[in-house]
Amino acid sequence: MHSPLLESKLYLPRNRQALVPRARLAERLRRRDGIRLTLVSAPAGFGKTTLLSALVTERPGRTAWVSLEESDRHATTFWTYLLTALERAAPGVGEGGLGLLQSGQAPIESVLAVVLNELSVLPDDVDLVLDDYHLADGPEIQPGMAFLVEHLPPQVQLLISTRADPALPLARLRARGELVEIRAADLRFTADEATAYLNDLTGLDLDAADIATLEGRTEGWIAALRLAALSLQGRDDATAFIEGFAGDDRYVVDYLLDEVLDRQADDVRRFLLETSIADRLTGPLCDAVTGRSGGKAMLETLERQNLFLVPLDDHRRWYRYHHLFGDVLRTHLREERGDLGELHRRASRWYEEAGETVAAVRHALAAGDADHAADLVELAVPALQRERLEPTLRRWLDDIPNDVVQKRPVLAVGFIGALMSCNEFDGVGQRIDDVERVLAGPADVLAVVDRGELAKLPGAIETYRAALALAGGDPAATIEHAGRAIDRAVDGDHLTSAAASALAGLANWAAGDLEAAHAGYTTAARDLQRIGYIADVLGCSITLADIETTQGRLRQAQTTFERALDLGEGLRGTADMYVGLSRLALERNDLDAASNYLRRAEDLGPAAGLPQNPYRWRVAMARLREAEGDLVGARDQLDAAERVYVGDFAPNVRPIAAHRARVMVAQGHLSAARDWVRQQGLSANDGLSYLREFEHMTLARILLAERARGEAIRLLERLQAAAWAGGRIGTVIEILVLRALAQDDVAPLERSLTLAEPEGYVRVFIAEGPPMTSMLASLAQRRPDWPYPRRLLDAVRRPTSQAPKPTGEQVLVEPLSDRELDVLRLLAGELDGPSIARQLVVSLNTVRTHTKHIYAKLGVTNRRSAVRRAHQLNLLTR
Amino acid sequence: MSHDSAWYEIRLQGQLHPRWASWFDGLTVTSAADGTTVIHGRVADQAALHGVLQKLRDLGLPLLSVARIDSDPAKHSTPGELS
Repeated sequence: MHSPLLESKLYLPRNRQALVPRARLAERLRRRDGIRLTLVSAPAGFGKTTLLSALVTERPGRTAWVSLEESDRHATTFWTYLLTALERAAPGVGEGGLGLLQSGQAPIESVLAVVLNELSVLPDDVDLVLDDYHLADGPEIQPGMAFLVEHLPPQVQLLISTRADPALPLARLRARGELVEIRAADLRFTADEATAYLNDLTGLDLDAADIATLEGRTEGWIAALRLAALSLQGRDDATAFIEGFAGDDRYVVDYLLDEVLDRQADDVRRFLLETSIADRLTGPLCDAVTGRSGGKAMLETLERQNLFLVPLDDHRRWYRYHHLFGDVLRTHLREERGDLGELHRRASRWYEEAGETVAAVRHALAAGDADHAADLVELAVPALQRERLEPTLRRWLDDIPNDVVQKRPVLAVGFIGALMSCNEFDGVGQRIDDVERVLAGPADVLAVVDRGELAKLPGAIETYRAALALAGGDPAATIEHAGRAIDRAVDGDHLTSAAASALAGLANWAAGDLEAAHAGYTTAARDLQRIGYIADVLGCSITLADIETTQGRLRQAQTTFERALDLGEGLRGTADMYVGLSRLALERNDLDAASNYLRRAEDLGPAAGLPQNPYRWRVAMARLREAEGDLVGARDQLDAAERVYVGDFAPNVRPIAAHRARVMVAQGHLSAARDWVRQQGLSANDGLSYLREFEHMTLARILLAERARGEAIRLLERLQAAAWAGGRIGTVIEILVLRALAQDDVAPLERSLTLAEPEGYVRVFIAEGPPMTSMLASLAQRRPDWPYPRRLLDAVRRPTSQAPKPTGEQVLVEPLSDRELDVLRLLAGELDGPSIARQLVVSLNTVRTHTKHIYAKLGVTNRRSAVRRAHQLNLLTR
Repeated sequence: MSHDSAWYEIRLQGQLHPRWASWFDGLTVTSAADGTTVIHGRVADQAALHGVLQKLRDLGLPLLSVARIDSDPAKHSTPGELS
């Protein structure tokens, strides 16, 4: 499967020909300060792209350029290109947002907040150009674009070229003076510009009257003047031609293109018309479509002669026709040939052989060859699923007629999977029924290209029924269908058995049956490993270790993470394993190790993390901060975690808000904690379930802090019974600690210690502070033969952070100033540029200057790397 | 506002060659004596109408009017009635 990211769309088109100087426009475009949006809005052929590419090439700063297409109406595609362009322009700026985006779960505002956070401290100016915005504009991308424009930091300017005004708050931007508008009336060539173009650049030597006539007839429309210039080249009778043109009412492009085509050699004319069916042109593709050779040379000739070609790279490899001319050429072609099916079929075949399924399918559909398109899609299904490109698959469902899909069970099941992975469940049940009916019917009506997949369908169908039941909140039916899927999975179909086992595991987990859940995930991880889905193995490992921790099996959880790390280096999910190890280290009260693991996770960068890692990392950091006694820092991390929170299929058994309520209790902010209880509708008399156990434990802590001991004890007793019955020993250990404190009774503590000792728990005891310390002390005195209580007491006395860390300032050639260190510390937090400026009571420009010096001294180019480097050099320890 | 198919008449500045009829999904393209062009025919729904308007935009042709008309095509296809 070809990568869906097309390089040519990020290519800044260079103006290879000399341009008409346009001082009057340059003057208006020069301003950068205070301008959020430069809008170039005019019909086709007014030189919008040329103007913007000349502008951003000339002025200092970095450029992120995206040439948009129809397919960019889909939000994920659009934002992927936009963030990738930013990442290319300023490395480090887009990658965090891209990671979140790929999860498919984060709201676009969260994705953009991460990117804006980076952009806002960038020392350089950035031009973000969205060319042909009208192709992408629509309800899918509008909310994110409005958010982006509203929050754009001053060093970034958005430049949009479009044929229709974008659905952005233009009136507001205009009123605030933050908008520069260039419209058709501004872009038209004036008489002077037309003269410069026709005579100076094209060398036509026309007199003023002829130029005035041309300018009048074309109304300064640049595309028309360009065609006129082509028609006039080598003509002796320029004046007669111009008069004929001026006296004609026909659509100027029609008239002139007829002239231009008439003047081309037959082979050139044929080449132009036939290849106009392709969105992009390259030599071999043109050869395939025209059935002749010499395509590459022809393209280069056309480019030299300025015949409508737009280069898409710097290597003279890929081109496209200027959109307007492409449309006109295709209309001429259709008039001459009628049926264009054969040309599209040839293009489809060429793309198929080149392995570019997306383009091959597009041309097959254009050829009216729905069956062949369906063949291509069916064969691409496994690769699309493996590469998580289900949204691409999902879009084809709209293009391939239903009756073609219905007789193809393999394809139909592929589409069912695509729909469900895009969270579209409506009508899926009906589709599954349909496929089963077709499969039960006579075999000779079935169309199947991918024979190997046919045998897998019964298992796959039950897997999707299980997933549908889970989405519908029916764990019992999920488990039932998953069991059937495993029974029906053919030998060697590890994907089906893995998916079904994971679904059963998930349903059991949500139902609180941790042992069955553990068994399901263990099988899923084994089968996923067999088929090389390593990122998913790591995902399962997180769940397995979570379950093991809840069961009070810390050592097993440690092994689970370590084994997962042995699967390979730098894999997606590796960072999550380190975050998990950090949490386990914290339970053992090894704060240095916990901190080191988090740093390693961060050093690996966003590519090594699963979509949930950004929030899990911050929650782990919050708990570390809390252990270090930095409660404000812990709250900050939890707030940040909430901003980057991304859910997955798994139940959210430890909500961030509950963590925060616990920190509030530690801070003594009991009324705030009580607000949380109210918002969640929690009460000590609730029925108990595993899914809300963490929240009820938090409630018990709040009750204790409120000195409602009787109520707290009753709740804890019920929680203990439920946790014990569910085999959740990890929870029981914590409950017993709280009961010991609530009842001022050492007996529950002794039981807790007995359960905890083999697994090496420390934090859960010593986190409770002086009351627990004195209980442990009396216990140690009473039972001198028992070393565990004494070890815990030692841990209380030991300073959390050992020897003073060496400072790394001396390794810098040029040390950071105190002020730069202040800025650096703030860069390590979550504030954006303007907020940092406010905090330090300086201007944003000052912050940017500091940032620039910091980056230079640390030898980095972006915020994330600066913070990482600062950690390595221990510059952030206060 | 109707969501069903309806007949529309779209008038443009300039004369468009009849070859463009296929571009507009089979609508009729007629040149009028006054140098304008009328595109008319049945469009499936509002979305289809906007599709036609977008194609006109992409050609850079100035739009003069868009009107919903009676369903009788014969009445509107003679150039004489258009000017």
